[in-house]
Amino acid sequence: MTGAYGGVVSPAADASARDRWRALALTDPVSRLVRNAAHAGIDDDEYDLRLLALAAVDIVVGSMGFAREATLDDVVDELAGLAARMAPHRPDQARDVAQTVVRGLLNDAHEQRRFTYRFADLGAPGEPARWEAYSFRLLSLREAEYGPVLVASDQAVTLFLHGLDVDLEDADRALAHVLQRQLDDRRFDAAARTAAQAERTSVGMSAMLAELLDATRRDVGSHDWEREVPERLLRARRHVESRIAEDDRLLEHVQGGLDAETSPEVRAVSGRIVDLLGRARQVHLDLERRLVGAREVFLSAQVRQRLARRRRLRMLALREELLLPVLELPRAEAALVASAFADRALGVSVPRLVRFDDLVDALWAPPRAREAAEPEIELVPDVDVSDDVQRYPEQVVAAAREVLGAAADGEVRLSELLAAVPDGPDAAEVTELVLLSALWAFAPDVAAEAEGEVAAEVDVLAGGIEAERADELLDVPGVGGPDLVVRLRGGATGATEMPAEPADVLFVDVHGDAYSDAYSRETVS
Amino acid sequence: MTSVAADLTEVRAAAELLGFALARRARPVEGGQYRALLDRYRSELRFRDVVDTMAEGLGLEVLGTPRSGLVLAPDPAGPFATRLGDLRSTMDADDRLVFGLVLIGIAAYAYPTDADFDDPETRLVEVATIDGFIRAALGTLGSLAGVEGSAEERARAAAQVYADLPQLITTQTGRRARGCTLKAVEDVCGWLVEQGAAREAASLGPDTFHLTDRFRLLVADSAGGGALDALRDLRREDVP
Repeated sequence: MTGAYGGVVSPAADASARDRWRALALTDPVSRLVRNAAHAGIDDDEYDLRLLALAAVDIVVGSMGFAREATLDDVVDELAGLAARMAPHRPDQARDVAQTVVRGLLNDAHEQRRFTYRFADLGAPGEPARWEAYSFRLLSLREAEYGPVLVASDQAVTLFLHGLDVDLEDADRALAHVLQRQLDDRRFDAAARTAAQAERTSVGMSAMLAELLDATRRDVGSHDWEREVPERLLRARRHVESRIAEDDRLLEHVQGGLDAETSPEVRAVSGRIVDLLGRARQVHLDLERRLVGAREVFLSAQVRQRLARRRRLRMLALREELLLPVLELPRAEAALVASAFADRALGVSVPRLVRFDDLVDALWAPPRAREAAEPEIELVPDVDVSDDVQRYPEQVVAAAREVLGAAADGEVRLSELLAAVPDGPDAAEVTELVLLSALWAFAPDVAAEAEGEVAAEVDVLAGGIEAERADELLDVPGVGGPDLVVRLRGGATGATEMPAEPADVLFVDVHGDAYSDAYSRETVS
Repeated sequence: MTSVAADLTEVRAAAELLGFALARRARPVEGGQYRALLDRYRSELRFRDVVDTMAEGLGLEVLGTPRSGLVLAPDPAGPFATRLGDLRSTMDADDRLVFGLVLIGIAAYAYPTDADFDDPETRLVEVATIDGFIRAALGTLGSLAGVEGSAEERARAAAQVYADLPQLITTQTGRRARGCTLKAVEDVCGWLVEQGAAREAASLGPDTFHLTDRFRLLVADSAGGGALDALRDLRREDVP
């Protein structure tokens, strides 16, 4: 290490500056989530968000590497429970709080990317600072067979264990001394607490190791197996060694406490410690088993990933290393590769078996009752079936016909017709139909009429009337344009001048439909 | 099954046996792993339980263990069940009726009595004989009583379609063309071969098939029905 302060402060401070800076940075996401929570309406005075964040990591690490890891729901539920205890008067908010904490640890504010901080490496005196990015995760989500699970990163495990980067081995030794002293002093309660902490150290190491091995199985280059990992393994091995030896000694010691004359309370606490130590021993042994196999995992992963033929696609750059070379191969050889690829890519194929009765039933299943219904559909006289979708109900047509009937008595204004539409559940549709009929009368589709497509249905409603532009504007909601004078066809003076485009004249917006919709509705029967 | 914890090696062996049974081409030859597992299934009750339980979980049922291997039948809702789409995809409603009728015809022809279901002797069928047997039974099938939509009514419809088809149409190359009943029987036999329910007996002549234990167990598993019962009755009259 060049020394972060460039020898400015002191060699000792210099040497560990980067590590200490990182430890400092690791706690920042928690501070950040506390700050951000204020924006979400969560009062820092009511909830101890830092404790909740710590608890979240605790819960996650506690089950990492086991068959069933903590799911997102588990963690949120537990945090919500804790939050509810902090603010009993706000039970409705507990879940929000729990979610805020988990989101914060996932870096949800930045699409769950890594947290990134910049470290200024000052280097030698006089040189400009070199900026170095340090990025890490605390929690991340994985897909497990029973749903999304949360996994803690190495850094989060470290944070959880000690809050700051402390050498585990040393802390452990210190812990052992404390425990020894407490046992000697018969302060068993405190001893139980510290023993539980030792167990947690092992759980944490176990989880870290599981993560590390998983990552190695995926990609052998993900960790530095030359220096960093062996050191960690060595540390963990020493930890297990000393723990097992020490636990045995402690067990004996506590057992001695049980056998000797003691007060009932001391006996009870001793019993608890014996249980605890038994469990811790299991944890230590579990960690040991993992340690024994760790090197093997690395070696086989190395053989598989680096030395053996690559068999998994995710280790290939598909385009450069697979597609392009295959395209250049002669046909026969390319077919080999392509079929091998296709066989794998198509996945599992399921052989089909039969059961005699089921097969006969399926073969002889009666056809759907479609044959009876089909002819009836053909009886519908409409030419274009697709237009039928928007047909008006019978009673609406009848009501519209009645309203338009007023035109039989002479000229009548469209606005008057619209005003005459009776109130009722169909009023909107009747209004629409009257409007469209008047519009049709104003600008009939002459071509369609000539071909007889409309003629059959033309009565007073659609074609028996004609309309002419009036001077006033319509004053009806949803409709714009000039008013129309409606009368029976041929019943009044002079031919109406042919309008160029109906849309210029009348603008209909009944259901937010465009004007063109009018023509799909005009062939009303 | 009771909650006896199964040994993991046993579970693995059971899965292996089911794997063999699902791969239709696998044969339990002497000295092979399949044979060893099959023998174990026959002799070890505990192993049998493990296999049966595992099969049940997969949506399968063990119908029997003839020499030719473990015979499985699928749960209709399970992943292994044959869907109509797995058969020839161009079948229309009439084709399906005929396919079903031929299948029942072959079953009735080969196993007229209940004792036949337990008889491991292999039955031979020929395409022309099956066609003749079905044609002779059309009258009986046509007079089955049954309401609209019942299996009997479907059998009547199938018999009607079958009767309307010519026995033989040939292609330009002299083979049977689609649309005749001989071709329909040939198709069903071919399908049975694919299923491992029949094998071509080319040494005995063309168009000859022997039905495997798998087919026997499949038919034995059937609850029967108007059409199958009627055809079996007819066949029993033929073979005293």
